[in-house]
Amino acid sequence: MKKSSIIIIVLIAVAIGAIVSSYGDASTYENFSVAAEHPGREYHIVGTLDKTKERHYDPRVDANLFTFYLTDDKGETHKVIYRAPEPQDFERSEKVVIIGKMEGDNFEASKILLKCPSKYTDNQQVQN
Amino acid sequence: MNEIVFEGEHLLAGNLGHMAVVVSFGTAILSTLAYFFAVRKPEDKSWEKFANSAFYVHTFAVLSIVGILFFIIHQHLFEYHYAWQHSSRELPVEFMISCFWEGQEGSFLLWIFWQMVIGNILLRTAGTWKNPVMAVVMLSQIALTSMLIGVKIFGYKLGSSPFELLRNAMGNAPLFKRPDYLSKITDGNGLNPLLQNYWMVIHPPTLFFGFATTVVPFAFVIAALWKRDYTGWMKQALPWALVSVMVLGTGIIMGGFWAYESLSFGGYWAWDPVENASLIPWLILIAGLHVMLIYKHTGNSLAVAMLLLLSTFVLVLYATFLTRSGILGNSSVHSFTDLGMSGQLLVFLLLFVFLSVVMLVWRWKELPTSTKDEEIYTREFWMFIGSLVLVISAFQIVLTTSIPVFNKVLGTNLAPPSDVIAHYNKWQMPMAIIIALLTAVGHIMKYKKNTGAAIRKIGIWAAVSLVVSVALMFAFNLTNWFYLGLLFAAVFAIIGNASLLKPLFTGKAQLAGASVAHIGFGMLLMGVLVSSANKKVISINQSGEQLNPEFDTKANMEHVFLEKGKALRMGDYEIEYKRDTNEWVNNYYQVHYKKINPQTNEVEYEFDLYPNAQINPKMGLVANPDTKHYLSHDVFTYVSSVPKDKTDGKYINPKTAEMKVGDTVVTNNGYAVLKLVDSNVKDGNVDMSNMQLLISAKLQVHTLDQVYEATPMYGIQQNQVAQFESVLDEARLRFRFTGVNPNTGTITIVVDEKDTSGDFIIMKAIQFPWINLVWGGTIIMVIGFTMAIVKRLMDISRPIHRTEINSNK
Repeated sequence: MKKSSIIIIVLIAVAIGAIVSSYGDASTYENFSVAAEHPGREYHIVGTLDKTKERHYDPRVDANLFTFYLTDDKGETHKVIYRAPEPQDFERSEKVVIIGKMEGDNFEASKILLKCPSKYTDNQQVQN
Repeated sequence: MNEIVFEGEHLLAGNLGHMAVVVSFGTAILSTLAYFFAVRKPEDKSWEKFANSAFYVHTFAVLSIVGILFFIIHQHLFEYHYAWQHSSRELPVEFMISCFWEGQEGSFLLWIFWQMVIGNILLRTAGTWKNPVMAVVMLSQIALTSMLIGVKIFGYKLGSSPFELLRNAMGNAPLFKRPDYLSKITDGNGLNPLLQNYWMVIHPPTLFFGFATTVVPFAFVIAALWKRDYTGWMKQALPWALVSVMVLGTGIIMGGFWAYESLSFGGYWAWDPVENASLIPWLILIAGLHVMLIYKHTGNSLAVAMLLLLSTFVLVLYATFLTRSGILGNSSVHSFTDLGMSGQLLVFLLLFVFLSVVMLVWRWKELPTSTKDEEIYTREFWMFIGSLVLVISAFQIVLTTSIPVFNKVLGTNLAPPSDVIAHYNKWQMPMAIIIALLTAVGHIMKYKKNTGAAIRKIGIWAAVSLVVSVALMFAFNLTNWFYLGLLFAAVFAIIGNASLLKPLFTGKAQLAGASVAHIGFGMLLMGVLVSSANKKVISINQSGEQLNPEFDTKANMEHVFLEKGKALRMGDYEIEYKRDTNEWVNNYYQVHYKKINPQTNEVEYEFDLYPNAQINPKMGLVANPDTKHYLSHDVFTYVSSVPKDKTDGKYINPKTAEMKVGDTVVTNNGYAVLKLVDSNVKDGNVDMSNMQLLISAKLQVHTLDQVYEATPMYGIQQNQVAQFESVLDEARLRFRFTGVNPNTGTITIVVDEKDTSGDFIIMKAIQFPWINLVWGGTIIMVIGFTMAIVKRLMDISRPIHRTEINSNK
């Protein structure tokens, strides 16, 4: 057997590993009910800010706690806990993508992506 | 229909611009065809002449587009959509240049410009390869200029013009029905604040120059396959490939520097799809470069070298497609939005994929192959393995970055990994280890055959590196032994390659290019390891209070609340938010740092940082960090939130005192002594007309550690009381002289305190150790590449090189 054949076999094996891994690590865009079924697993949830409920951020008490309510695309609303300052202009965002997991009835977000109705080409902001 | 005559528009510039775009597109087509026929009919010199002329006109047209667009931005001609959308009146000139590449059209223009420059160089240097190479370069130029046309053809809008008028772009807004609409548009949209950074002035041109150069090795491979000349192209293409690797690499790392300085990616590398998109072709190009060298020295692996060089350009096009078609949508925060060009971009990509595949398949059987089994103890063997590892590394990045593409094609609903950095590191770290080890192993060995001496040398240097890396583990304070592997690989890359630096001292410096570049790579790797392993968030709240009993403290309490004037202990630092100042559109927050020795509690050194925040009307708060650079670490600070409305100018806790000279009044943060009452004041700042009386009171104000002077005044002007207060900003005190009491011979002084309760910032501070290794390693890498380029250029001018292979013919 030529060494090049061995190399090619190893190469294919690693490539398959990479495919499996990137599929395995990939998160999915879901809604709250799916996230609630698998507490502890990380999901991306796309939704809109529920403006009828209270948005809370009081830096004097805790600069690392921001809570709000998000309605997902199925219409389900949950409290979202984000342990960082409130992103500026949060209330103006049209769509919010939260990344994190359900804990009890609350969603613990580790990252928030905002889609703002801005005229810039670079029309999103990341906060983490 | 009655035409509206619009007032005040400068239509000439736009019309000329449009014309220049059309001319550049037309001449690109003409010269491509003419160069094509010049290759087909080499005996007919008129094709070549015609092609050259068309290319000269093309050059002129491209320069005109650039000039006119700059004129429009510089003159603030907001009747043009591009100027209105990307610039504004108060923008400094250097940022006007950045406006160029904020939009898609401008960044295509930049690419077109560089490709035109490259064409001009090839025209003069490519010799016998000129015609076929130029044909390929101009084919790519056709595709690029078509992106700027902005004309509807059979209902499909081809490209997007930078000379589109605002009133056409905005369509039916009622404003644009008015003849005087232009007078209502006083200012443009402005430049994205994230791009208002000097790195953003030079990063895009560098990156796009890098992108543009990848077409050259591609064109040489196509030309070689076309002309069935499989050896001659190498000498010409090699320096171009090196330039491409160097420039693209510099561009990528400049982007990293920008990300680091402007915080937009939260560090210098975040594995964002936009960053990955430019990294992927770079990795493949480096692999291609190494396989080219294998072919040059041994005559093997030609097909692989060609495949990699072709893939590099195709991947540049794929990167362009990813970042500009809007397909990244939810997965990247930095991609361009779709301008309706995704179809066109896809055609561009597929055209060059098709061209590559057809050319390779057509000549596949003719390509020289080797039937011998490979020798293990040779440089070429390990170089080849290293190149393959680079390919796998790029493949893995392509795979994860392309998740949105798979979603589109397969209809799945996958999102990128929630912890992207961990996902990539898991794959890229082991590959980086292998590559670093191979740079030393492969480089110490010689081509073709090696004796036991080389193997012994590798063993010795590896042992030395192991000792050094264990020592560095302690020096860098790395606790996780897992890091030893990576650290050893990096140290071995540095030491192994440093052992080959002999030519540097024997007057043949250009021969050491590869060693120097590899040392730079080793340093870069070490910097990445140490800075990310020991990166420390220092703004952890240390007050000891349980802030919010509702939640336990498992969370990342990485932001601190900092009230003006109240010092806070944060790790080994004591920080205080002193004041904020406003400059142009930015607010600067002065944060004073005192480094405290944890043992003795003494202040070791102090410094100020001025992170700024721009409250942008369209994007909210845009933070720009400020960094204190030390040789061994950076202290990096940014403002993550500021109060919406400050209680500016409010004073609280007034204290009134009847005072004689020498009396003392207790203030909120110290005391003040009345030193002098002067009834004969001549103050230039006060309007003295009809002033019947003006008395000043000089007070010496003591705070905890400072002494100030305050001079409030009291006067009678036109029979009315006039008071002139004295405000000490730094002490946050205000003194007022409110009355004179002739009976007791005293004066009334009121002192109150500025209300700072609403004046706070929320900030985060990070300490990056040894980040200078990352930048230093990059610079050394670039120097190494430059040396290698010089060597390859010298090879071209030398007629026959001793290692040149001509045996295949």
